[in-house]
Amino acid sequence: MSAEVSREELTSVMTALEPDQIVFTKEHHHCPRRRLTRNEMLLFWALRIYLVFMVGVVVYQIWTGVR
Amino acid sequence: MYTCANYPTSGIVSRSLSHCVDGMNDSMKEPKTASEPRGVALAQSNVLNDPRTSGDNVVITHEDIDRAHDRERVSETRARRGFRPRLRLFWLLIGPGILVMLGENDGPSMLSYAATGARFGIGFFVPFIVLTFAMACVVQEMTVRLGAATHRGHAELIFDRFGPFWGWFSMIDLMVGNFLTLVTEFIAIRAGLGFFGVRPAVAVLSALLVLSVALMTHRYWTWERIILGAAMFNLVFVPVALLTHPHWGTVGRALVTWRPLPGGLTQETVLVLLADIGATVTPWMLFFQQSAIADKGLTTRDIRFGRVDTVLGAALATVAALATMIATAPLFMHHMSAANFEAAEFAQALQPFIGHWGAALFALGIFEAGMVAAITISTSSAYAFGEVARRPHSLNLPFKQGRAFYLVLLLEAAAAAGLVLIPGIPLVYIVLLVNVIAVLAMPPALLFLYMLVNDREIMGKLVSPLWANVLALGVVIVLIGAGLLFGISVIAPHALALVGGK
Repeated sequence: MSAEVSREELTSVMTALEPDQIVFTKEHHHCPRRRLTRNEMLLFWALRIYLVFMVGVVVYQIWTGVR
Repeated sequence: MYTCANYPTSGIVSRSLSHCVDGMNDSMKEPKTASEPRGVALAQSNVLNDPRTSGDNVVITHEDIDRAHDRERVSETRARRGFRPRLRLFWLLIGPGILVMLGENDGPSMLSYAATGARFGIGFFVPFIVLTFAMACVVQEMTVRLGAATHRGHAELIFDRFGPFWGWFSMIDLMVGNFLTLVTEFIAIRAGLGFFGVRPAVAVLSALLVLSVALMTHRYWTWERIILGAAMFNLVFVPVALLTHPHWGTVGRALVTWRPLPGGLTQETVLVLLADIGATVTPWMLFFQQSAIADKGLTTRDIRFGRVDTVLGAALATVAALATMIATAPLFMHHMSAANFEAAEFAQALQPFIGHWGAALFALGIFEAGMVAAITISTSSAYAFGEVARRPHSLNLPFKQGRAFYLVLLLEAAAAAGLVLIPGIPLVYIVLLVNVIAVLAMPPALLFLYMLVNDREIMGKLVSPLWANVLALGVVIVLIGAGLLFGISVIAPHALALVGGK
């Protein structure tokens, strides 16, 4: 069961906070997805390859540690 | 949760963030100057007249009310003139920057500074540490702008702007790294209190209790003040350094000349340099500061104070780091090998030089370093989880409403604490693994940060100017390069030997 907000609390929230600081607003309206440029897409693919390398290194470290 | 069924809403007219917020009725808004930059442009329509939004409800939460109370205090103070109101405003707005910088002076870091002082004395590493904190300032300042402009945490922005894959990757990567780092923090807590004869289980459980009690305030503001107070104990290394009666002329000369560097630039020294540069900024720092700024409710009007907060934090952390190095310099001067020292061993080795109370202060400092870092690191994990999993995530929440947030925080810390108490666990190996994961996780984290802070759609006029971008890019490249080289040296030591060095 929800409690009613007092007028004072409501006024306080609406005056003190910027609109996109209100939790309801943030939950229901997220930043849109960024459109990546060609260079950025290439960078992200390089990042994916780096990710594979990174996981491999960590797994190797754990494996050598266990041995 | 609360509702305000009859109040016209600040509805959203467009999915695009640049029009992400309809203007509220101007009479309801905090007055702002015409020249004030805003990260998010306000749409022109008056939402009360907007037929598309009439009748929509905004749900006001406990979190909103608490945050609004904090912001009201800021507004009231800002409206007053004079020195004392300015000082109070400063007091109200500082926090995230100091916490993140002093939190970075965690247990392993302080032990690393102690080992550096014992190995190299007062010389090259004095200005070097100052430089690393300056680099950290450059990086952390970007999170200040991001948090204040977007009111969102770092993980949330990555998720929204770059997609769920990178959002979940960043969060999981952070949580794994944080978990292992938390293990090292509880090692430091155990070691620090071990000097006083406290049993490991008691030390670790007491630390968990402190962490839990701090959360029971359910107010970001109160939690922040408590942790700030604890973080100030990082400066306990200053009296320890003073007890060694350092030669200040040597310290001053080292700051200016970057000398001496005992043994010269050997492979070992290069590895120490790479490790220190690579560890200047760790992923949790980026996530924590931005999320804390969003949770604290800072806005674009507060960015200047956010920068001051960050620089002040870096200055305090630098002082503590240098003090630790200076405190252990007597071990270098007396040719004592401290290569494998743990916290209690440093304190015991220093006792002949600084007395029992000085050694006790040193051990207490290590405990504090581990304690504060454990709190801030576990909080950063909880923030990131909440942001990506779309669960409520704020220190203003009661436990019932922020159950997932608090459980992640507590369980991660508890699991790390439990691991430390398992007999025979290879803790030294875990410390090494933490270093490797931390340096490997930095490149994606820094890349996302750099892209987000230059994202005009979300930053508006707050995107970095060219000179700041050049500086930031330079720092990012140095951090990534050093980290990767260190990582390679750990995985394949011979690879670095092929490059050069004595």
